[in-house]
This record gives sequence, structure tokens and C-alpha cells, in this order.
Amino acid sequence: MSKGLHRFALLVACATFFLIIAGANVTSHDAGLAVPDWPLSFGKVFPQMVGNVFWEHGHRMIATAVGMLTIVLAVYLQLRDSRRWMKRLGWIALAGVIAQGLLGGLTVKLLLPLWVSAAHATLAQLFFLTTVSIAVFTSRSWVMPPTSIADNRAGFSIRSLTVVALVSILAQLVLGATLRHSATWDQELPTSLLLAHVGGAICVTLILGATIVTTLLRYRGDKYLTRPAVFAAAVLFVQLGLGLAAYVTRSRSPYDPQPLTPMVAITVAHVACGALVFASTIVLTLRAFRVVDAEQGEYVLAAA
Amino acid sequence: MLSKNTRLWLGLIALISLLSLASSCSKGGGEEESTGETGGKPYTAKGNEGTISGVISYTGAAPELKKIDTSADAACTSKSPDLKTEDWVVKDGKLANTFVYIKDGTLADGSKIEGFTFPVPTSPATLDQNGCHYKPHVLGVMAKQPINITNSDPTTHNIHFTPKKNPDWNQSQPNGAAALTHTLNAPEVSPSLVQVKCNQHPWMKSYVGVLKHPFFAVSAEDGSFTIKGVPPGKYNVVAWHEGGANGTEKTMQVTVAASGAAKADFSFGATAMGQPSSLQVLPALEFPMLGKH
Repeated sequence: MSKGLHRFALLVACATFFLIIAGANVTSHDAGLAVPDWPLSFGKVFPQMVGNVFWEHGHRMIATAVGMLTIVLAVYLQLRDSRRWMKRLGWIALAGVIAQGLLGGLTVKLLLPLWVSAAHATLAQLFFLTTVSIAVFTSRSWVMPPTSIADNRAGFSIRSLTVVALVSILAQLVLGATLRHSATWDQELPTSLLLAHVGGAICVTLILGATIVTTLLRYRGDKYLTRPAVFAAAVLFVQLGLGLAAYVTRSRSPYDPQPLTPMVAITVAHVACGALVFASTIVLTLRAFRVVDAEQGEYVLAAA
Repeated sequence: MLSKNTRLWLGLIALISLLSLASSCSKGGGEEESTGETGGKPYTAKGNEGTISGVISYTGAAPELKKIDTSADAACTSKSPDLKTEDWVVKDGKLANTFVYIKDGTLADGSKIEGFTFPVPTSPATLDQNGCHYKPHVLGVMAKQPINITNSDPTTHNIHFTPKKNPDWNQSQPNGAAALTHTLNAPEVSPSLVQVKCNQHPWMKSYVGVLKHPFFAVSAEDGSFTIKGVPPGKYNVVAWHEGGANGTEKTMQVTVAASGAAKADFSFGATAMGQPSSLQVLPALEFPMLGKH
């Protein structure tokens, strides 16, 4: 497996994470319509970056860079990865980034309807899932996983747990995106969506917590699985704190004269940390599928 | 299974349809449709119309106007180095920028005022962006009356009307550009006036009250207002002030005698400010110590 390909895949995943942060800044600054036209900005490629144009056009520039990186990654996979399904995954990533760009354009053209904005935020997380997965699939540890360890204990299979955790996190991310885009900084958040998001946080904490505990207890000493589990636990803990802080600052913001730094920084950090919870769970899930045969309760090598 | 060529064509058609939809919808945002709420028989002035006037007071300590950080745009900082919020402009206990209007009522002959139509002024109302804030801060227009939007600042603004009953409208206006004209076709004062904002400078806000009749006014710096040409009758008069999710409304019943001058004084205060005295963490729970920054 090409080391360069893996490093490039990591770069694309990191750039996507940075793009999510840039996008979160657009929402928190209420900059989504600071540039009324698309794909150009005020009819230019590089407009004057004043006021909220900095956030909106900056987001567009980073998105363009990620799009170009994804094109290179897709071609790189065709040339350097012999696995057919990986070549396909490269094209899927490219299709995803193009669709995401079009959705971004739609948010501007349609003046930020909730469903388009929420879809844009959700597809961002799905594209991040794709790039993180490509980084995992091109890693040395995926091609040559550690020695399998027999585990015949009864209980929920780690595969099922990780998949349920992943789905619950994605659902929570969709809820969070819908909540964020249902009201601008100067409006109150809708109570029903807020309560649903709080409920989602409780569900994710229970499901992901159970997954992490099961991983740590059942596969103790096997860093291949415990490392992403420990990382997931750490970011989940931080994410819960950020969620509460985001709520506190966001509740005050309708009475502020403009989006203030504490609210912006905390809500953006909450979005970013949510993406990290998702990413760490993706890694844990893929690795579990790589080395654990859930039905037999023992490690087997999945097809490379 | 579909052939490769068929799939390619289907994909292209889907892409073109998506872009066409985006294009048509964005055009739709600028074209308003009448809601039909302005229907009725024309009102004929009888010469015995009166006035409703009054003063908007603010009880309690006047809230401190907050300083706005304009550092994101040097043009704003140089033109308005000490820009402050305009939500609660109180002077000597009198409140400016309150929108007062007749909500409904009955004329002396028993007919409802909602059943009449009134001539829409052909002269436009003006909304200027000057010093990175809107002048006026609160504006009243009749439905279908044009609003001229000017930019007197050395920077670009975008004017974003965010109504609930009229279509959204978002346009960019560079410095020195010609005035833009926008028309709101449907009356809109409830649950809130139409908020106008600039997404480039998120502190910039203005409110436009849109009515099917001309019986509205905005309180001046001394809190005073006068609504002229009111047919004799009994009306529910509303005073609306921004703050909170949808602002705060006060309603009063006012009787206007033939050629009479009716009084309608309103009072707002700390509890009507839309500013919580404590921070709600969940709808049913409150943390009193976290109320203010």
C-alpha cells in the first residue's frame, strides 16, 4: 500500500475537518447570505474580504480547495490502489464533494431554506465520513491488521454496537444541523428541536458509552480497537461540556448586538467536536469490522 | 440495468434540473404576489377624520445601549466610531422607535375598517444605510408601497428582508450604487414587523411595518407620535417595540370622535424588553445567577 496515498488521504480528511469548522463559522456569524450570488462572489473570484464576506467567501475558497484535493485523491486511488471498491470509493468521494458544492450554491440561491441548509450540513458530515474511511482503508494497519485474539464472550457484538453508535451519532448530527439552521443567532432556538437534540445527546452518550466500555473491557490491551475507543470517550466528554456551554451562550445571543466571540467560538467548537466524535466512531467501527467476527465472537481477518 | 450512456444522460438532466430550480427559485424571491388581504371597498374621506396621538414612555431605568464592534469593516469604524444599538432608545423616560398602528376597529357607521381599501402612496418610503446602520430604524409603509433603499456608506451592504408573509429578498448594494426598490405586497405586522438585516454587518437591523391602511406612526425621540386622517370610530391600537423573539405588543382601545383628537399613551418597561432576568437552561428550569454577561 502506498504510504503517500495514505498521507494524502489523511490530508483530505483533515482539510474536510477544517472545512466543517469554516462552515460552522459561516452559520454562527450569520454570514450565509453575506454574498448574495453564487458561484462567483459579487461577480468576482476574489472580492474584498470585509465584514462577514470574510467568512462566507473564505468558506467557498476552502471548499474549492477541498474539491480540488478530492479530485486528486480520486485520481490517486485509480492509479495507486489495486482494490476495485477503493477506486469506486474515490469516485463516490468526488461525487459527494460536487453534490455538496451544489447544495452550498442552493443555500445561497434559495436564501437558506431550512431543508437545504440542514442537508448541506448533513452531507458535510457524510463526506467527512467518506474521507476518514478512505484514510482508514489506505492505512498500513488496515492492510496488515494486528494478530487476531479469540474472544468468545457472550453479549452484544462489537460490530452491532459500533454500527448503532455510528447511526445514532449521524442522527444526532442531523438534529444538531437542523437545530442550528432553524434560527439565526438573534432568534430563539425552537424548543421542540432543542429538546430532541438534548434527547439525542443522552441516547448517543448511552450507546457510544456502552460501545466504548464494551471495547475497553472485551479487547483490553488491543490498541487497534482501544485507541479509537479512548479517543471517542475523550471527545464525547468534551462534546457534552461544549453542548451545555453552546446552549448557555446561544440562549443569550438574541439579546446581544451582534454574534459575540464566546457564542461563536463555543458553537463552532461544538460542531467541530461533534465531527471528531463521528470520526473516532467511524475508525472504531471500521477496525471492528476488520478484525472482529461478531457472530463467532472472535477475531478474523476481513477481506482486504 | 440502465446502460452507461442512459445513466450519464439521466445524471446530466438531474444536474440541469437542480440548477434550473435554484435559478427559478432565486428569481421568485424577488417577485412578490398579492395575498389578496388588501381587498375591500375604497374609503372616501368625509372631512371629519380625527387623529390619534400619544407618547410612548419607558418605566424604570433605561437600558444601556450596547457598543457595537465594527472592526470587521474599517469603513464602518471610520464612519461610525461609536456605533451603539438602537433597540431601546430612551430619552427622559420617553421611548423612540415604537411602531403604533390601528389593528382593527369599527367606524362610526358600524362598518369595519378592515373592509376598506386606502390609496397606496406612489411616493416611495426611504431606507438608507448610513454609518453602517439603517435610517430610519423603524419604518412604516402601506402594502405595495415602494421602498427606496440607498447606500450612503463607503462600503458594500446587502439588504436582506426576512418577512414571514412576504417573500425573502436579498440584494447586494455596493457603495455608490443606484438606489434599489423593493415592495412588500402583503400586510405584515404580526407576529413581528418585517426585519431587515445586513448579513455582511450582522448588527445592522431595521424593522418595517406593512399595513393595508395608512393609520400608523413611529414614535420620535421624545416618544411622541400622531396618526392622522383617522375616520371616527372605535379602534384597537397597537404599540409594537422590538426585543425578544417577536418584539413586544401593547394594545389599547381608542375612540376617535368626529374631527376629534384621541389620546393613546403607552408604556414599556424592563419586563417588556424581551430581555430575560434569568437564563433559561431548559424551558422549565431557570438559573438566576447566569442571567447576564
